[in-house]
Amino acid sequence: MSEAPLLELRGITKRFPGIVANDDVAFELGRREVHALLGENGAGKSTLMNVLYGLYQPDEGEILMNGKPVSIRSPRDAINLGIGMVHQHFMLIPVMTVAENIVLAAEPTTGGVFLDYDAAVERVQQIARTFNFAIDPRARVENIGVGQQQRVEILKALYRAADILILDEPTAVLTPQETRELFGILRSLVNEGMSVIFISHKLKEVLEIADRITVLRRGKVIETLPRAGATTETLARLMVGREVLLRVEKGPSEPGEALLRVEGLRASDDRGLEAVRDVSFEVRGGEIVGLAGIDGNGQTELVEALTGLRKPDAGRVLIQDRDVTGRGPRASFDAGEGHIPEDRHRRGLVLDFTLAENIALHDYRDEPDSRWGWLFPNRLVRRARRLLKEFDVRGGGPQTLALALSGGNQQKIVIAREIDGDPRVLVSAQPTRGLDVGAIEFVHRRLVEERDEGRAVLLVSLELDEILSLSDRVLVIYEGRIVAEFGPDATDEELGIAMTGGAHEEVA
Amino acid sequence: MSTVAPPVEPEQEGHSRLERVWEGASGAFVPLAATVLAFLIGGLVVLITGHNPLEAYRAIFNGAGFNWFFPWVQGSERALAANRLQQTLNETIPLILTALAVAFAFRCGLFNIGGQGQYWVGFLASLWIGTHLHGLNRPTHVALGLLAGILGGAVWGGIAGLLRATVGAHEVITTIMLNWIAIWGGQWLVEQGGPMQGPIPSLPRSSIIDESAKLWTIWGKIPGLALHAGLFIAIGALVVYWLILSRTTLGFEVRAVGFNPDAAAYSGIPVRRSYFLALAIAGAFAGVAGAVNLMGVKYTVDTSDFGSTVAFTGIAVALLGRNKPVGIFFAALLFAGLDTGTSTRSLDSSILDPELATDLATIIQALVIFFVGADLLIRYVWGWRARLRVRPVARKEAAAP
Amino acid sequence: MAAQRIAAPRKVAGFGIALGVLAFWLTLPPFTLRSLAAPLVLGITACLFGVAALIQHERKLGGFAVAAGVLGIAAGAWALSVNSDTLNNVLTAGLLASTLRFATPLAFAALGGIFSERSGVVNIGLEGMMLFGAFFAVWGSLWSGSWVVGLLMAMLFGGLLALIHAFFSIHLRADQIVSGFAVNLLALGLTGYLFSAIYTNGISATDVSRVPQVELHWLGNVPAVGTFLQNVFGDLNLLVWLMFFAVILTYVVLFKTAIGLRIRSVGEHPRAADTVGISVYGIRYAAVIVSGVLAALGGAFLSIGFTGTFEKNMTAGRGFIALAAVIFGKWRPGWAFVATLLFGFGFALAGPLQREANISANLISTVPYVLTLIAVAGLIGRSIPPAADGRPYVKQ
Repeated sequence: MSEAPLLELRGITKRFPGIVANDDVAFELGRREVHALLGENGAGKSTLMNVLYGLYQPDEGEILMNGKPVSIRSPRDAINLGIGMVHQHFMLIPVMTVAENIVLAAEPTTGGVFLDYDAAVERVQQIARTFNFAIDPRARVENIGVGQQQRVEILKALYRAADILILDEPTAVLTPQETRELFGILRSLVNEGMSVIFISHKLKEVLEIADRITVLRRGKVIETLPRAGATTETLARLMVGREVLLRVEKGPSEPGEALLRVEGLRASDDRGLEAVRDVSFEVRGGEIVGLAGIDGNGQTELVEALTGLRKPDAGRVLIQDRDVTGRGPRASFDAGEGHIPEDRHRRGLVLDFTLAENIALHDYRDEPDSRWGWLFPNRLVRRARRLLKEFDVRGGGPQTLALALSGGNQQKIVIAREIDGDPRVLVSAQPTRGLDVGAIEFVHRRLVEERDEGRAVLLVSLELDEILSLSDRVLVIYEGRIVAEFGPDATDEELGIAMTGGAHEEVA
Repeated sequence: MSTVAPPVEPEQEGHSRLERVWEGASGAFVPLAATVLAFLIGGLVVLITGHNPLEAYRAIFNGAGFNWFFPWVQGSERALAANRLQQTLNETIPLILTALAVAFAFRCGLFNIGGQGQYWVGFLASLWIGTHLHGLNRPTHVALGLLAGILGGAVWGGIAGLLRATVGAHEVITTIMLNWIAIWGGQWLVEQGGPMQGPIPSLPRSSIIDESAKLWTIWGKIPGLALHAGLFIAIGALVVYWLILSRTTLGFEVRAVGFNPDAAAYSGIPVRRSYFLALAIAGAFAGVAGAVNLMGVKYTVDTSDFGSTVAFTGIAVALLGRNKPVGIFFAALLFAGLDTGTSTRSLDSSILDPELATDLATIIQALVIFFVGADLLIRYVWGWRARLRVRPVARKEAAAP
Repeated sequence: MAAQRIAAPRKVAGFGIALGVLAFWLTLPPFTLRSLAAPLVLGITACLFGVAALIQHERKLGGFAVAAGVLGIAAGAWALSVNSDTLNNVLTAGLLASTLRFATPLAFAALGGIFSERSGVVNIGLEGMMLFGAFFAVWGSLWSGSWVVGLLMAMLFGGLLALIHAFFSIHLRADQIVSGFAVNLLALGLTGYLFSAIYTNGISATDVSRVPQVELHWLGNVPAVGTFLQNVFGDLNLLVWLMFFAVILTYVVLFKTAIGLRIRSVGEHPRAADTVGISVYGIRYAAVIVSGVLAALGGAFLSIGFTGTFEKNMTAGRGFIALAAVIFGKWRPGWAFVATLLFGFGFALAGPLQREANISANLISTVPYVLTLIAVAGLIGRSIPPAADGRPYVKQ
């Protein structure tokens, strides 16, 4: 004798130009349960939840709550039905305060017109107390930490009396400590009667927090299974569809001289706060050094300082013994450094340029591409043709615009360009972000190849698996400092602890 | 810190990718459709105020001298058309140049609304050369005049460029301010008692430039009305524009910065220097427009001339011509035709009052800009028509038993 | 004791700046102090305060305070060198009244600009909306015989023009600057066309029903500053008072009401606003229409509040100066209003300077634009617009 589930999605199909993001998806949520939605990037998890939250309209299918069909045409409808969503990229307004963000669109008012700010602060504090979090309602969102910001998002849902809370990749930006705190909050929410949908691609976390797990692959539901009996291997296989090779084939490294040397580097972020604090390390030719750390601990600024995009406050960067500190990206290139930027659309490519032009981005000023300011486009095309073949770039020829290519092929262009410049040092930041498995394998293989050619490779990544599988040495950055160095056989635990400052916290 | 995310829309990628592919395919479609639509609505305005739009448009067409292209037009009518066409072409010249001033900056992602000011500074610099240097032969004098135009315009554009490059001041505001400063400043220069006033104290007008500073005429008899050699300069400028952008490293940098300043910076392209150079070069184009107008048509200037809007029309030309040389040429021709065709001199006032007609031309220009700027609208209309074609089929299927 | 004074460096620096300004101001009418002692003392004190702030690492304001002190002394000395009669003739209370009159259309348009931009839509079409307001105010006033109808017509048509800009910018996601520019051109052409077509013999100012002045004779009775107040505020147009009210109202609406919070959220992070159920398009449309209505009121002042007639292109770039005021004022109504006062002062100076110092009117006319250029060139520090300003929102 079963009553209707709290929430049911039946036959949901959602199409975008060129892709079926959700294909006849069935999903159920019971009361007081944490149901995880697991899948790789691009599997359709976020799309499904956006449909549930009214941000997208499904092409087919229906949504039922307590057995009755409902129509969710906008977030307002979803909110009215008691559905709250915490997005992966927070939907918070940085210049406004916590209280303002939480009450937005449901503001307490005097006379129906004037914002009653004090009442808002009061209500926020009330809710926070009930669920036991600490938060300062009058603080500006841009001034609080990431874990706190996530709580603000959760509070937004609670303020609107949500019964169902959807969390989209919530732990992507949290330290392990904050993750544990989050799980504690989730458990207490469930105890108070809420249901949680937890979207993730992280197997271990899903196994820790979920009661039920639904695996999505390429828009289809592969299986829904209870936590009991599920293992990382079975889940991984369901997610990817084949045996996942977790480690890249590579031989031992034979490091030579130090080609990249960083001494006492200090740098500030865009807001003028210290982001890199007295960092020193070196990368030798023939080795891959991985830099691990939680997002926001200074890696971005460090990479920018290494590649000349950010002027350091102190310290030196030496490439092949040449001092390029603060001399701009060109100086770094000329000294023999290549850089695969973490955001290929923003920094790596000019999407409206052709592939040939993109490939020429560093060299257009030199012979043979140009002479004394006069450009020879056909020479650009010739070089591009060679590189496109060598790197097996699909989707177009030298005259195709970069934006017409898929993410993986775009990344290949970036890599091709950098490597063709024959750098002795290669700095790669998040090189496989947003890529499908095939492209990821390509990039990994290529990085190892470069290492074997004697180049010095610095790999900065947020994916621990990637770091562990590729690196010969691993450095951990925390709060702008290098806090640990490990050999290639470090464990997740050791890295995790170092990434959170070495503090060894047990959650009660 | 990095997840209070910038409002970047991941879905937008696919959307705009589609849009851009469409755009490549449409090419001349959008500008043509936009023009037709603008003329249609302009015709409506004419209709509402009690005139016949077809007659009005025909009068404007003839007023522009375009009927000269019809072989059946002969005799005195042909001669009249020839005169008018020469004037239209004379109008086309500065429009091409001021459009290039806008287009070049656009390619760097900058909106140069300062063409009018840059035009005047070039004009005035050239005026100085024409009135203060004497005894030179024509090629030298003209060359110096052009050079003055280039430098003057480049400096005026460069100020905005410098401000954008150093403190990030938005060029829309700075160029507009510079416009007004140039206009009022110019008026001051030639007003009664002003430093560049001509020999007659009661006239707020400058001296007339020396004969040697006047451009050669290439079609027609009367200097000032006949088509002058500036046409070659304008066409040359179109070629220079194309060459710089596609065949020089500077052009490469300008385009890269225009498309993606972050990637450009990352590649070592000096972004701020590109902003400065783009506006300076753009200003130079407009300055040449001023110099050429002076040396080919005006020969002098008085305070009432400063209400000229040639550079604003240039903006419309650049938008309609989609910043491409061929497009700019034809768009300039169109707007020049609209301008001369509606002037008091050429328009048959029995059909439409020229003053009304001039404003009509402005309205049409505005509409063209709207429609070109909103290519989505055009595609919407296109998509709507495509849907119309589908419906009859559906009805047929439904009707079948 | 010195430690006490160094207490709050920003306040100290602020005080220093004020003293520097005072050093100059006291040499001007209505005080017209003629001794060098005053500016010298005040200026030096200002510098000292500035240095005190600098020691406390308050570099920007401290620097300004020192600069204000030095400039205050220099400007004060210069004022002393000028014949006091000339000073009195140029810098009259009438000049301040004149400043308010020049500032009014700028302020209305600037407030409109703030609404629009705070919701994330760049509106450089303020100029065109102002022109529309100027024309349709006269048109409405003429056919109805009432200035009230004139104002209503101005607001109506300003709003309609804004609707066009809104449609192109929001729904069609056209480039907002191009759309704004086209709006200006459209307004120029349409008002010119209609003016020539309808009023072929021009408009005589006596036929136009104008917005009345508000006479406050009782101001003269206020002790000590009575005459001054009377001269400045005693005979201002109703629209000027409306403008003051509009400034306050804008501030209250944007920063003290729920709807203001929503408007600002849409301008900062439209996706976030969308996800809590706010209609991004709806708010943006409303804000842009409001900007058209306000700008039109500014234009209406020019025609039926001040000159009593219409001329082609009578706004002469004021819409852009208003935009500069918005940037200068960092998108805050109060500061934008201060900016419009500054620019208005520039305009107002033109007449008296021409008369007294025989400087060309043309040359003086460049002053407001030069001031704007300096302002926008960032003398007031980096101006940060609402985060999503100018970016079309794609709703899925």
